[in-house]
Amino acid sequence: MSVTLPRSASMSRGATGRRYRRPDRTRSRVAAWTAVTVIGLFGMLPVYWLVATAFTPDDRAFSFPPSLIPTEITFDHFTRLAENEHLFRYLVNSVIVSVVTAALSVVVSAYMAYAFSKFRYRGRRSLMHLVLASQMFPQAVLLITLYAVFSATGLLGGYTALVLSFTTFTLPLCVWMLKGIFDTVPDSLMEAASIDGASRWRTLHTVVLPLAGPGMVAAGLFAFVRAWNDFIFALTLTDPERQTLPPGLVHTYLGEFQTAWPDLMAASLVVSLPVVAAFMFLQRYLVGGLTAGAVKG
Amino acid sequence: MNTLSRRDALRLFGLAAGAAGASALVACAPDASGGAPAAGGDAAAKTFSFTSWSLNEEAQKAAVQSIVDAYATANKVTIKTASFPYNEYLNQITLKLRGGQLSGAIQLDVAWLGALAAMGRLTDLGAQAAKGGYTEAAIKSGQLGGKQYGLPWTTGSIGLIGNKEILEKAGVKEMPVTVEEFEEALRKVKALGGGVVPYAAATKAAQLKDILPWMRTFGSPLLEGDTITIGDEGSVAAVEWYKKLYDDKLIAPDVDRFDARALFSQGKAAFYDDAIIARGVVSAQAADKSLTEKMVPLARPVLKAGDAPQALLWGHVIVVVEGEGSQAASDFALHATSDTATTATFFEKVKMPPTTTAGLADPKVSGDTFTTEWTEKITKTASQNPFWRYAGYGQIETAIAEQVQAVLVGQSPAKDALAKAAETAKPLQK
Repeated sequence: MSVTLPRSASMSRGATGRRYRRPDRTRSRVAAWTAVTVIGLFGMLPVYWLVATAFTPDDRAFSFPPSLIPTEITFDHFTRLAENEHLFRYLVNSVIVSVVTAALSVVVSAYMAYAFSKFRYRGRRSLMHLVLASQMFPQAVLLITLYAVFSATGLLGGYTALVLSFTTFTLPLCVWMLKGIFDTVPDSLMEAASIDGASRWRTLHTVVLPLAGPGMVAAGLFAFVRAWNDFIFALTLTDPERQTLPPGLVHTYLGEFQTAWPDLMAASLVVSLPVVAAFMFLQRYLVGGLTAGAVKG
Repeated sequence: MNTLSRRDALRLFGLAAGAAGASALVACAPDASGGAPAAGGDAAAKTFSFTSWSLNEEAQKAAVQSIVDAYATANKVTIKTASFPYNEYLNQITLKLRGGQLSGAIQLDVAWLGALAAMGRLTDLGAQAAKGGYTEAAIKSGQLGGKQYGLPWTTGSIGLIGNKEILEKAGVKEMPVTVEEFEEALRKVKALGGGVVPYAAATKAAQLKDILPWMRTFGSPLLEGDTITIGDEGSVAAVEWYKKLYDDKLIAPDVDRFDARALFSQGKAAFYDDAIIARGVVSAQAADKSLTEKMVPLARPVLKAGDAPQALLWGHVIVVVEGEGSQAASDFALHATSDTATTATFFEKVKMPPTTTAGLADPKVSGDTFTTEWTEKITKTASQNPFWRYAGYGQIETAIAEQVQAVLVGQSPAKDALAKAAETAKPLQK
């Protein structure tokens, strides 16, 4: 029995039948890998700096010029972090606001995307572009407007204002993301459900949405991260008791004259762990969801 | 493919919108605590709010909270406190004041008084100021257009600090008095080598407003009436001198206040500019715990002996919003800023100098050599930045800073750059 081995990408056969390495291809591969490595290291440098500073003693953290490799390690900043009861409150606020924003964004955008994807009506295309155009407004303009609206409606200061404002930012992209995914769901499936007697409502919930699962997870993650990272809206629209981590950390560690960088880095490291864990756990959905609409099935 | 009637489509969108509203309202409990009371209302009310960034700063919050608690107990009033981070403070209080969400007493940086007073919502505290016994320099820091908008809580200045040990090593026996002597001292420090920056002056655009007192030193008033004089002989001479220091490596590139403090606290800078309370910040960062003893405040060198040294006024004031609880808030502001026992104890805890003659004379304050020297050498002749009167003063400073940086990096001659800065700043005078 003969076995055909796969030919190496960088190998070929010459006229004599002997294998030889194509130098151009090898060189370009090395160049590409070098470029990717350099860019990767460059991208990881802030993360490295964050971790290194979190473990550096205060008087070393301010040494000038700064040292890339810590010469001394301390856990003091993490101990102080554990003693700060405000940070736990900020963390809980962040979780509440981000989870609710993600859930709300997914629910609302799923209905909107379904309507955009599966039905034909006058003005559909304009409406879709209008939804996307709302993403283009400068945030400062939106902040002032939303502040006035929430102030007039008595929602200012609570979680509601924050969740609603975050949802307004996340909806456009979530809708477009999910529309692309719904487009890939074959109409024949829906027609089959209809023939079996399922209502439109039931078809949506039992046929279409389960197929769009990875896309909905991806949209939810996008909304979650957007809500988790926001600083200025969380600072402005809520009272101090309901502020999330970004304004909370700034409030705690950045002052008029002093910035507690090592403590701030330690806190940032700890609070970023839940998001990193969520991404690691859901990454297969994320990749699937983001690319699901790329090629229409 | 299904087809949908317009009615069906609208129904679906309605469902989506309904889900948005309902989910949010169900998921999120309404705000029970409420925000600050709306502006307007009963001025004689015994409940008011106090907004202060110091209430959240590690070094100050306990001291500030104790002033608040002591006053509330002694006077049977209720004080609600609120705080925002310093760097976002002005934006936040402007927005909240405009939205009617802010009342009572508010801590302000003296630089922000013009921006907030322009909103027309601050109480005239002239009557309280007359009772406070404040120093002349302090009382002026709360005034604008002849009206007393704020009561001075702490008054200091941003001035030059020297490292006595480095200067002695370099052979600088006396603190320089003139610009010429200063430059000579810088050259001696540079000759020491060892990576010491002679003068950790601001060279990053974010902090290049520090050049304004140098422009004044060289004879530019910066503003005459409403005419910006940046680009005149004095300001051009100051920037050309700064450029010479830069080219001769007597000042270093890419330095802001944070970098300057780091350099100074590591014993790698002989001079730098900072506010009076820098002593505590530097000592917290320094590995050399005796550094504070080597810190010397010095009057900014002058062009010729006998000129008045220039320094930028720095400090905090307390303003009061007209309306709900404004009378009680005004009394609180007067107490916090002028009660001798309160201000002296506050100084003892946070090293922020009092603003009254009696407060400065208190042994707790007068016994502190660094503070008394600073007050005598620097704060005495310190003055406000004339651009503070404009709400857009920050943008004016940025316009100037960007052009000065262009000069430092050799992109533009000083005269052209400053003329351009003045041109950019002109429409921002409002």
